[in-house]
Amino acid sequence: MVRIVRLTLRRRVAAAFGLASLVVTGVLAAATWNLAGDYMLDQREMSAVRQAEVNVRLVDQALRTGADGLDDLLSGLTSDSESTVLVSRPEGWITSGRRVDPAALPPPLVSLASSGVADTERIVVDRVPVLAVALPASVRPDVYIELFPLVELERTMGFLGLVLASGVAASGLLGFALGAWTGRRALRPLTELTTAASRMAGGDMRARLPDYADRDLAALASAFNDTAEALEARVRQDARFAGDVSHELRSPLTTMANAAAVLRRRRGELAGTARQALDLLLSEVDRFERMVVDLLEISRHDLASDETGAGGTTTELVDLGELVRMVLDVRRCTPAVIEIEQPAPLVQGDRRRLDRIVANLLDNADRYAGGAVRVAVLHCDGRARLEVDDAGPGVAPHLRERVFERFARGDQAGQRGQDGGSGLGLALVAQHVRAHHGTVRIEDRPGGGARFVVELPTAEG
Amino acid sequence: MQARLLLVEDDERIRQALGLALADEGCDVVEAASGEEALGRLGTTPVDVVLLDLMLPGMDGLDVCRTLRDRGDLPIIIVSARTDTADVIEGLEAGADDYVTKPLVASELAARIRALLRRRHGTGEPRRSLRVGDVEIIPDEDVVRRAGREVHLTRTEFRLLVELAAAEGRVVTREELLKRVWGYDYFGDTRLLDVHIRRLRRKVERDPDEPECVVTVRGRGYKAGTPG
Repeated sequence: MVRIVRLTLRRRVAAAFGLASLVVTGVLAAATWNLAGDYMLDQREMSAVRQAEVNVRLVDQALRTGADGLDDLLSGLTSDSESTVLVSRPEGWITSGRRVDPAALPPPLVSLASSGVADTERIVVDRVPVLAVALPASVRPDVYIELFPLVELERTMGFLGLVLASGVAASGLLGFALGAWTGRRALRPLTELTTAASRMAGGDMRARLPDYADRDLAALASAFNDTAEALEARVRQDARFAGDVSHELRSPLTTMANAAAVLRRRRGELAGTARQALDLLLSEVDRFERMVVDLLEISRHDLASDETGAGGTTTELVDLGELVRMVLDVRRCTPAVIEIEQPAPLVQGDRRRLDRIVANLLDNADRYAGGAVRVAVLHCDGRARLEVDDAGPGVAPHLRERVFERFARGDQAGQRGQDGGSGLGLALVAQHVRAHHGTVRIEDRPGGGARFVVELPTAEG
Repeated sequence: MQARLLLVEDDERIRQALGLALADEGCDVVEAASGEEALGRLGTTPVDVVLLDLMLPGMDGLDVCRTLRDRGDLPIIIVSARTDTADVIEGLEAGADDYVTKPLVASELAARIRALLRRRHGTGEPRRSLRVGDVEIIPDEDVVRRAGREVHLTRTEFRLLVELAAAEGRVVTREELLKRVWGYDYFGDTRLLDVHIRRLRRKVERDPDEPECVVTVRGRGYKAGTPG
C-alpha cells in the first residue's frame, strides 16, 4: 500500500513557489535558447551561403579556364578555414580541406544540386556537426559543396544552455526559499495560534492571541479569544458550581454524621427491628460520607489544577519514607515488613495528596486483601518507588488497568455494599499520582497477592 | 476535663447535631448563631475554646476570628465547609489555632479540643528556660522575650517555639511538630504548620524573610537557629 505523505502547509507553499518560479524561468530560458539558437544559425547560414556563392564563382572560373588551377584554388579556399570543399565532376569527387568521405553526404543534397537547385542542410559528418551548402556549378552536372563546421556555434549554444539551465535551477531554489520564508511569515499567526491553543489544552485558561492589524488575522484572533473567554468562564463557572456543591453537601453531612454519632452511642437503648434499621442507617451514613468526601476530592482536583496555573500550588519537598511511616503510624497499621531505603527518596509534591495515595492503597489492601503485608519505599532508576504488597487473591491482568477507574470494583463488580468503600479510592490514587507526574500499576507479588507500585519523580537535590 | 465550648454556627441543624454529639463527648456547649451573638456571649460566659464557622450572616467568621485574637489568646478552631488552600490559609492567618473541614464528627473535634487545651494548660511539671538566639523562653511563666522585651505569642505559637527550642538545634520534622503541638493524629495537612511558622517568625524574627530562630531544613522540617 502506498502511503501518501502529506506535506505541511509551509512546505507546500515553499514547493509551490519553487515550482512556479521553475516553470516561469524554464519557459523563458527555453524561448531564449531557441530564439538565440535560431538567430545564430541563421546568421551563420547566411554568411556561409554568401561565402559559398563567392567561392563557387571562383571555382566556375577555374573550371571554365581548365582544370589545372582547380586544385590550387580549392586548397587556397580551404587553407584559412576549417571548412571542406567538395566538387563533384563527372569523373569523380575533388575534395579539399578536412578530409570527408563524399559518400557520407546525404544523396538528396547532391542530386538536388546537380539538378540545379541550391540547398543548405545541417548534417553531422564524422561526428562533426556541419552546415552543408550545395550549389550547382555553372557547368552541369558539376556540384559545388562546401561544409562549414558548426563546432564553434555548438560550443556557444552549449555555453548558453548551461547558463540558462543554471539560471533556472537557481531561480527554482530561490523560489523555494522565498516560499519557505513567506510561508513562515504568513503562518506566524498560525504558530501563535497553535501555541495559544496548546497552552489552553495544557490548562492555562488565560492564553490569548494578540490583536493583529491585519483584518483576516484579527477575525481569527478575536474568534479564538472569544472561544477562550467562553471556555474560561465555563471552567470558572464549573469550578464555582463544584465549590457550591461541595459546601451544600458538606453541611447536611455534618449534621448526619454527628446525629449518627449520637445514635450510635445510644444503640443499646433500641431493640430488635429498630436497632437493625439503625445499624443499616449508620453504616450507610458512613459510606455516604466517604463517597461524598472522595467525590469532592476528585472534583476538587480539577479545580486544583486550575489553581496551580494561577500560582496557588502547594507543593513542597517531602521525605517519602517519613510520610509513609507517619501514615502507617496514624493508622496503627503494622505490616510484617516495612522496608524504607535510607536515605529515603525526596519528592516534590503536595503532602496531603501523597498522604492520600498511601492511605488509599493501605485502605484498598485492608478492604480487599486482608491488609498490607509489606510496604516499601525505594530508589529505582532515579525515581522514588512505593510498593504496597498484600497477600490477597491478587488482581487478574485484565483488571489491572480498570481498577483505577472511578467506581470500578475488580471482580466483585455488582456486589456493592459489602465493603463500604466509596469506589473512588484507587481512582483518587491514580489521579493524585498523575498530578505528581508519576505512574501506578499492579504487579504480582512474589508468593501470591498483588503488589501496587507507585513511581514518582524524585526531587533534585 | 469538662471543657466549655462556644459553638458559632448559623446552620441550626448542624449546630444542634454537633451540640448533641459534643455533649456526648463530655463537653459543655454554648451555642451562637452569628458572630455578633458569639461576641456578646463571650462577654458574659467564660469559655475554653471557640468553634467558629466561617460563613456567618452579618459579621464574617474571619472578622470574628480577628476580633477574638486581638482580645487575647482564646483558642479558636475554625470549622468550615471551605477546603480550598486559600481559605484555610486565610482562616489561620486570621489567628485561628486549628482549621477543620466539614463533614467532621464530634469525636475528632473533641480530640483536637483536648489537644488544644493541653497546649493551653501545659504539662504541669516545671521546665527550665530555653534560649534561641536573642529569644528567651520561660515556659513556666508562659513568657517569651526577645532582646529583653516581652513578645506576645498565642498558645500554639508558644508550643511550637518550645518544641523547636527544646530540640536544641536538632531537626524536628513537620510530622513530629504537627503531632506534638496539635496533638491529634498526623493529618497530612501541613498548611496548618506553614501558617503558624509564618506567624511565629513575624513575632520572633528580626527579619521574617531571613529567619534566624526558626530555620527551615529543606525537605525535612525545622530547627532552632544556632545562637550567635
